[in-house]
Amino acid sequence: MPRTVMILGCGRVGAMVAKALAAEGDNVIVLDRDADNFLRLAEGPNLQMLVADGTSSEELRRCGIERVDAFISLTAQDTVNALAAQTAQLSFGVAAVVCRINDPTRRIMYEELGLRTVSPPQVMTDLVLNALGK
Amino acid sequence: MFVIVVGCGKIGYQLSRALLAADHEVVILERDSQRAARAAEELGSVVISSDGTEPTVLTEAGASRSQLLIATTGQDATNLVACQVAKRTFHVPQTIAVVTDPDHVELFKRLGVDVTISTTELILSHIEEEMPGGPLVHLLSMQGAANGIVSVRVPAGSPAVGRPIAEVALPAGTALAAVVAKNGEIKALGTGLVLEQDDDVVAITPPDKEALLWRALTGGT
Repeated sequence: MPRTVMILGCGRVGAMVAKALAAEGDNVIVLDRDADNFLRLAEGPNLQMLVADGTSSEELRRCGIERVDAFISLTAQDTVNALAAQTAQLSFGVAAVVCRINDPTRRIMYEELGLRTVSPPQVMTDLVLNALGK
Repeated sequence: MFVIVVGCGKIGYQLSRALLAADHEVVILERDSQRAARAAEELGSVVISSDGTEPTVLTEAGASRSQLLIATTGQDATNLVACQVAKRTFHVPQTIAVVTDPDHVELFKRLGVDVTISTTELILSHIEEEMPGGPLVHLLSMQGAANGIVSVRVPAGSPAVGRPIAEVALPAGTALAAVVAKNGEIKALGTGLVLEQDDDVVAITPPDKEALLWRALTGGT
């Protein structure tokens, strides 16, 4: 059964995740403050792009966060991601929330607070070490 | 008390000034280097030009021995993360966040921020419509503290205009923290200070002296 997934941030990562999920048949809603970032994507039957500020509960509600199964915050700013993800989890009770946190110390803190996080520097480090056969 | 102030915009700057004047130890973290340099000229070497949401920066600022962190930037997300990192990683006992989106008042409390100050709500609830010219705005009231910080704009026709500050009958138990002219210039506090129309007077006052203070500065009744 297709899920509805909201993605905050249409940078390189956000756009690729959106494409991949849409290709799998999920309904994807991508939010970004800057409409220019939507040039990375093409609108499809199950891919919607909306200009919005993800740190505003009011705007998240307007974009339909109350009906999503998952929320993924992938902007380049840890602070924006942390606020949006915690809003999705606490204020709107979204079942699955994933949050990008670049800073390693903050990442540990948010994991302890119950957020699922991904950290690009950590992922890169693991891949580099792996490529070196470590 | 050792206080860390995150953000040195209008609120952060005036607040830091008032805290320093009250002999508190203050470290200010301001990401914008130009703004930090300007503040350092006025306030001295208490300003660090760095991002107050970064754990490494908070370590350098001495967060683990601070009793209070106040996040005053214009971005709610920054203020939230600064308070959460202070609380969770450095065990700062008291955190205060300024919020601009009223929806964040409840959310931030649930996320562990001790006190939220909604600038929008404060202005809406505290500007007294019936006061002619110079409303009294509550900038900060701290839980459990006897004093608050307020701001009063000196209106045209106020008896305080053009007079040396010594001749203005400020109520006992109140103190001026800063006077900012209409052009943004910060006036030197002291006996030579003369108030002018549209000066913003920031003062520390117990709640029961607010009305007297307002009358002294505006001439209103």
